[in-house]
Amino acid sequence: MAKPTAPKRDSLTNEFDQTMKPVSLWTDAWRRLRKNKMAFGGLIIIVFYFVACLASPVLPIYPYQEQVVSHQNLPPSLHSAGKVMLFTRTAYMKQTMEADGRSEFNADEKAQLEAMRIDAQVNPENNRVYLLGTDNLGRDLLSRILYGGRISIMIGLTGTLTAVFVGIVLGSISGYVGGRLDNLMMRFVDIMYSLPYMLLVIIMMALFGQNIFNLFIAIALVSWLTICRVVRGQVMSLQNAEFVEAARSMGASTGRIIFRHLTPNTLGVIVVFSTLMVPQFIMQESFLSFLGLGVSAPMASWGSLVSEGANVMELYPWQLLAPAITMTVFLFAMNFLGDGLRDALDPQSKNKL
Amino acid sequence: MTASETLLEVKDLKMHFPYGGGFLSGKKGFIYAVDGISFQLKQGETLGLVGESGCGKSTTARAIAQLHRPTSGEVLLHGKDLAKLKDKDLIAARKNMQMVFQDPYASLNPRMTAGDIIAEPMRIYNGHNILSLSRQEMEERVEQLMERVGLSRFFKNRFPHEFSGGQRQRIGIARALALRPELVLCDEPVSALDVSIQAQILNLFKDLQEEFGLTYLFIAHDLAVIKYISTRVAVMYLGTIVEIARSADLYRNPQHPYTQALLSAVPIPDPKVERGRKRIILTGDVPSPDKIRVGCPFYDRCWKRMDHCKLSKPPIKEAEPGHQVTCFL
Amino acid sequence: MAMTEDTILQVKDLRTYFNTDEGIVKAVDGVSFDLHKGETLGIVGESGSGKSVTNLSVINMIPSPPGRIAGGEILYHGKDMLKMSKHEIRQIRGNKIAMIFQDPMTSLNPFLRISTQMIETIVLHQKLDKKAAREKAIEMLKLAGIPAPEKRIDQYPHQFSGGMRQRVMIAMGLSCNPEILIADEPTSALDVTIQAQILDLMKGLTERLGTAVILITHSLGVVAGTCDTLCVMYAGRFVERGPTDLIFDSPMHPYTQGLIRSVPRLDREDDERLSSIRGQPPNVIDLPDCCPFYPRCDQAMDICKKKYPKWKNLDNGRTVGCWLYSEDK
Repeated sequence: MAKPTAPKRDSLTNEFDQTMKPVSLWTDAWRRLRKNKMAFGGLIIIVFYFVACLASPVLPIYPYQEQVVSHQNLPPSLHSAGKVMLFTRTAYMKQTMEADGRSEFNADEKAQLEAMRIDAQVNPENNRVYLLGTDNLGRDLLSRILYGGRISIMIGLTGTLTAVFVGIVLGSISGYVGGRLDNLMMRFVDIMYSLPYMLLVIIMMALFGQNIFNLFIAIALVSWLTICRVVRGQVMSLQNAEFVEAARSMGASTGRIIFRHLTPNTLGVIVVFSTLMVPQFIMQESFLSFLGLGVSAPMASWGSLVSEGANVMELYPWQLLAPAITMTVFLFAMNFLGDGLRDALDPQSKNKL
Repeated sequence: MTASETLLEVKDLKMHFPYGGGFLSGKKGFIYAVDGISFQLKQGETLGLVGESGCGKSTTARAIAQLHRPTSGEVLLHGKDLAKLKDKDLIAARKNMQMVFQDPYASLNPRMTAGDIIAEPMRIYNGHNILSLSRQEMEERVEQLMERVGLSRFFKNRFPHEFSGGQRQRIGIARALALRPELVLCDEPVSALDVSIQAQILNLFKDLQEEFGLTYLFIAHDLAVIKYISTRVAVMYLGTIVEIARSADLYRNPQHPYTQALLSAVPIPDPKVERGRKRIILTGDVPSPDKIRVGCPFYDRCWKRMDHCKLSKPPIKEAEPGHQVTCFL
Repeated sequence: MAMTEDTILQVKDLRTYFNTDEGIVKAVDGVSFDLHKGETLGIVGESGSGKSVTNLSVINMIPSPPGRIAGGEILYHGKDMLKMSKHEIRQIRGNKIAMIFQDPMTSLNPFLRISTQMIETIVLHQKLDKKAAREKAIEMLKLAGIPAPEKRIDQYPHQFSGGMRQRVMIAMGLSCNPEILIADEPTSALDVTIQAQILDLMKGLTERLGTAVILITHSLGVVAGTCDTLCVMYAGRFVERGPTDLIFDSPMHPYTQGLIRSVPRLDREDDERLSSIRGQPPNVIDLPDCCPFYPRCDQAMDICKKKYPKWKNLDNGRTVGCWLYSEDK
C-alpha cells in the first residue's frame, strides 16, 4: 500500500491567484544586503581577497621566500628589474653629478651604466617584474603580501571561529541556566577582561615559543569574552519568549532548548559580530608582529610586513605603503560588510510598516 | 462522551513569586499571583477562566503546566499530583497535557519550519523513549494535523513569518495536539487575533473538542468569548476565584459584585442594547497582587462592601447547585 | 456628500502609499468621509485595514521616507490641510485637532513630568502664561477624574497606572479645547472595567465640550456604544458608511454582515454556532484590481473578481461599496 508523500511544491497561489514564493529569512536578508552598495562592495572585495590569497600557491608569482640579493629594495614598477635598477642608478648618478656641478656623466659613471645595461639584457633574473617592488632581501613584495594575506586571514578566521564557538556555548549555557552558574561565569569573564591582555600574550609567546599555533591560541584565549557576553544577553532576552515556554511545556531538555531554539535565533547577532571580529583579530596579530612576536621569518603576515616596512619608511616608502594599504582596504571592506549585515539581518528595518 | 470523570483537580493552588534583592541584599517581597485556587475539571468540559490583568489567570495555567513550580497546593491530573512529580514522571504526565499560547508571533520559533514545529513534541517524546514513531509516521501525523486545523499540508516547509496571525495560531494548535493529549490549556489563544479570525479559531476549538474528546481550560479576558466556548466559568480577581458556575448560570445570575461589574462593562455590538444598558462603573484601578490582603480582595472597589468584608476572608457560598460565590453577601 | 453648515472636516479620496522593499503598500486607497460638529465618527477595521494610517494622514504625521500622501484632499473648514504650510499645520495640530493614541506608555515622554508636557501644549496654543496654564492643566486633570490633581501633575508617567495614563492623555488632548479629537484605539490596551471608565469619560467630556471625535477601533461593541456614524474599513478603503443604528440594524456589505455575525455576544444564547468569515485579511501589496473581499465573500459574483466596486450613495445617509448594490454590473 503506497503511503502518501507530500509533493514538494515551492510556489503556491494565494486567494487572489497570485503566486507566493517561499521567502526564508536568509533570502530576505540577502536581498537587503545586495541593495546596500557599500556592504555589497565590501563583500566583493573580500571575496576577491580570499580567492587571491588562497590561490597564491598556484598564481604565477615569485616564491615569497626567494631572495635575489641584487634586487634589493627595488621600487614598484611595470618594467623589468634590470631596467629599474638602471633607472635608479642613473637617477642617483644624476644627483651626484649635479651636486658636483657637472652637466654630464664622467667616463667612470658611463662605464657603470653600460655594464648594468648589458647585465640587464643578459641575466635572465633581471627580467623579473616586481609590481610592488622588493624588500631589503630582494623578496618580491607582491607575493609576500599575498602569502602574508593568507596567514593574516587564516588567523582572523580561525580565531573568530574559535571565539564564536566557545563564546556561544559558554554564553548560551550561562544565560539560560542563570543563577549561580551565570554569576560565577560572568565574574570569571570580568576578571579575564581586566587582565592586561597584551602582557599575557607576550608572556605566553615568550614562554611557549613563537610560532603560529601559539600566536593563535594566545589571541583566541581572550577573544571569546565579548561574544560570550553578547550571546548571553540575547539568550536571556529570548528565554522568556513564548516559543521557549512552549518547548519547555513539551518536555524539551535544557540542551535541546539551548541549542535548537535559543542559539539559532541569536545567529543574526553572531554573524554580525563575527564579521567585525575578523578585522580585530588581524589587527591584534599585526600589532604582535609589529612588536616582533608574531610570525617569524621567512613567513610573512601583513603585520610583519608593516613592521619591516616601517623601519625603512623614509627610504623606501612602498615597503610600508603596499602592505598597509592592502590590509586597510581589507579591514574597511569587512567593516562595511559587517554593518551591512547588521542592517540586513535586522527584521525591523525602516521600510517595514 | 464517557462518564464524566474528573480529569484535573486543583486544590488550594498558590504561586508566590519573590522579587527584589540582588546578589547581596535579601528579598524585598512577594507577588501573590495565585493565592489559593481550587476547582475541578471533568472530562470533555471546557472551564473558562476569566479576569482582568493581574488576576493570575495566566499564572494559574503555567502553574498547572508546571512551567512554574507551585509554591503550594496540589494539581491532580488523573489523580497524580503534578506538583510533586519530577523529571521522568513529569515528562510522562505532560504528554497528556499540552498548552496553546497567546501570541501567535512569539509562540513559534521563527527559525523552524511549520512541519518541524508541529513534529517537535513527537521528536522530544521519541527521544525520551515514551513514544516510538518512525519518521514516516511522524510525517503523516504532521500532515494530518495540518489538514485538520485547516492548513494546507503543502505549507509544511514554510517559516512562521510567511503565515498570517490566524494561521500561526493554527500551527500552535496543531502542535498542541501532536501528542494526542486529553487536556489542553489555552492561554488567551484568540486575544491577539482579528475579530473575523477569532470566530474561525473559536469554532475550530469547538470542533476539535468534539472530534478528539478534548478537555479545555480556556483563559481569556473577553467575557463574550468565554461565554461562547465554555461549559463552566470561573471569575478570578487578585489571585482568587470569586465566582464559579455553569456558563449559562453565571451570565444569567451573577452573584459576586465583581462579576456583575465585569458583565456590565463589556460592550455589546448592538447600539440599541448599548444605549439601554445601565453601567456599573467601578472606581479605582485594577490592583496589583503585591500585598498580603486581609479580608476580601475586592473590598477597595466594591460598592456593596460592608465593614466585616475588610476583616476576614469571605466564605464560599453555594447560590445554586454548581454555582459558588466567595462573598459575604 | 454636500457640505452642510456644521461640517468641520471633509476628507476626499485620501490615498496614502508606502514604498517598501516588496512593493508599494496602498495602505489607504481612496477614503472619503465628513465630520460634523459634535459628531462621533467611528472607523472600524481589522489589522491591516489602514485605519491608523488614515488617522495619521489626517494630521499629516505619516513617516515620510517610506510613506507619502499620494492623493486626495483633507478640508478643514474648507481649507486643504495637505496644501498648508508647516506653520499653519502646527497651529492646528494639538490645538484644533488633538490626537490620543493606543498605548499611553509610549505616547507620554517618560523623562518629563506631566506638568511639563501639559503646560508646554497649553502655553504654545492658548497663549497663556505658565501659571495660568498650570491652573488650566490641573482643571483638566480633575475633569478627567484624576484624584488630587495638584499633586499628581508633578509626577512622571510611570507613576500612573495604564488607565490613569490614558486619562492624562485625554486631559492633555482636550486641554486646548479642540474641535476634533482623534482617538486611535484608546482603550484597546486597557482592561474591560477600565475601558468602561474611559469610554464613559470620553463621552461625557466630549459632549460637554462639544468636541467632534474620530474613534478608531477594532471593537464593534465599543462603536455600538459610542459612535453616531460608522465607517467600516477593509484593505485600505471604506466598504460601508452611515449612521451606526442603521448599519447594525441592516448591514449591507457582506463584510459588515460577516463581522457583526462573527462577534460573540453576551446577550445571545450560546447554542448558536458563531458564523465566521473564511480566509484572512489580504496583504495590501500588489492587490489586483478587484474587490479585495471577494475571496472571503459568500455572495461574490464574477465582476467582483475583475473590478473594484463603485461607491453607491443611498438616501438615508448610507453609502456602500459593493457590486450587489450597483445597477451597472
